[in-house]
Amino acid sequence: MAPRWKGKTAEEPMSVIVSKLQTSLIESNAQGLLSGCVVLLEALPEQTKLLYRACIGRPVITAENDKQWHQLSFEEALYLCSVLKCIKVAGENKCAKSDEELWHYMVAKRVGFPVMFKAYSHLRRKNWVVRAGSQYGVDFVAYRYHPAFVHSEYAVLALPDEDGDVENARLKVWSDYHCTLRLCGSVAKTLLVLHICRNGEDVVSLSSLEHYNVEERIVTRWNPEASRENQTMIVKK
Amino acid sequence: MMETDASHSFSSDDGVYDCDSGSEGFVEDLVDDELCFASGDIPKLQFRKERSKVRWIEELGMAEVLEKKGKMWITTGISRNGKTYCSIEETLYLAEIGALDVLNVDDTPLPLSDLYAKLAEDREKYGCSWESFEVYRCLKSLGYIVGRHGVAWSMKNVKNKTNADDSVGESCSITDKGNVDDKFITDMFGNMYLGETKPIFDVFPPNSKFRKSSSGDPSFMLCRASVHPPSRQEIEDIETCSGQIPLKFYVVEHGRVSFLSFTKVDLPVLP
Repeated sequence: MAPRWKGKTAEEPMSVIVSKLQTSLIESNAQGLLSGCVVLLEALPEQTKLLYRACIGRPVITAENDKQWHQLSFEEALYLCSVLKCIKVAGENKCAKSDEELWHYMVAKRVGFPVMFKAYSHLRRKNWVVRAGSQYGVDFVAYRYHPAFVHSEYAVLALPDEDGDVENARLKVWSDYHCTLRLCGSVAKTLLVLHICRNGEDVVSLSSLEHYNVEERIVTRWNPEASRENQTMIVKK
Repeated sequence: MMETDASHSFSSDDGVYDCDSGSEGFVEDLVDDELCFASGDIPKLQFRKERSKVRWIEELGMAEVLEKKGKMWITTGISRNGKTYCSIEETLYLAEIGALDVLNVDDTPLPLSDLYAKLAEDREKYGCSWESFEVYRCLKSLGYIVGRHGVAWSMKNVKNKTNADDSVGESCSITDKGNVDDKFITDMFGNMYLGETKPIFDVFPPNSKFRKSSSGDPSFMLCRASVHPPSRQEIEDIETCSGQIPLKFYVVEHGRVSFLSFTKVDLPVLP
């Protein structure tokens, strides 16, 4: 499915937006607050704009005029913290946690988090916009750019490659495929499955995640009747 | 594909589900087409005036063509030593549409019921199950050219074969006396794949200028999927042998055929 742009003129490349955000957050010593399954981040006006343009986090609507709060998902927070290294994250004691502490906290809180985070960071590193996909019955939705500019292309499921991994197992029976494909089709998205392979790594840690392998496959349904209409008569070579 | 309404398409952050917007008109309720047939209204295909004639040869598990009528032979049957042979699915398909008279070796007629019985035989004796036949019939009736995977249309075509099994070309033969080559049988019914998931058909696009002697590569290889969806490893194993030829998988449930592809991609690194 080719990307469908909405006709507005895109501004800067996503990598530039993210880079500016990274720089700004570092300069302001940004620190987020871990709370349940989110990280709350207080942002300066320029950071708010950049967070919006990079599609990271959701604004928290408050009456405060001078401050803007954002809530980040675990994936987003850990990405900013451990990959872009531009924020710190603290618990209620206001002490910044190390990357490993943060990792352990998140892994304990969210079932299947390692696979989800690997998938998120795999796509973000390629400068794709990645947002939650639960309202489409999938893990993530991936856009080529900010959703205001382009229709989403991919509905993403992150599956572990090892049989032993039951936490993230989906698409186990055919009806799972029919269901997911039908849903994806009705919202004009292509199903993208990210097969996450541990590559022999035993321990599931933030550093071992670096060695995981991600294989991308799109799952599509073929309609023999529709395809046939597009067939031109083959001329013998 | 449906074009989602611009106002709804990026509402992923405010909890609006696409189905809320009423834009769900894309897929209408699918009527179970079997329920459309009231008793007595079931359509019947016309028997053709000019019917081809074949003789079923049990040791081959194929039918030898005796008389050809019509253009369908351009895209049906394999050529060996100047003769044409049809697989069970080809034979059954043509018999169902009334285009074929099938005989036993003693020239007595072989009725449709016997052909259905052959298809039902244990462990796919002739290399094709009922479900595979439904897929074959579906594609043939839409004009696609469908061959048994790994079996050359003609011996002249052997150089064009791209899959790993070249042994069909080396020693596959049916002598003029009709003696059966064991290798030939193995190629038709044996398989490189031990599992349930394996390529069954090579599918070519509709083409009135199709030549068995130079068929070219198929548009795709059609694989049967087992009871469960194929694992990534199973798909990769088949891809190792299929080279550049795309793969599709079929699954037949309650008479409905679904065709799926699991295509490896590499999303570009964006700017």
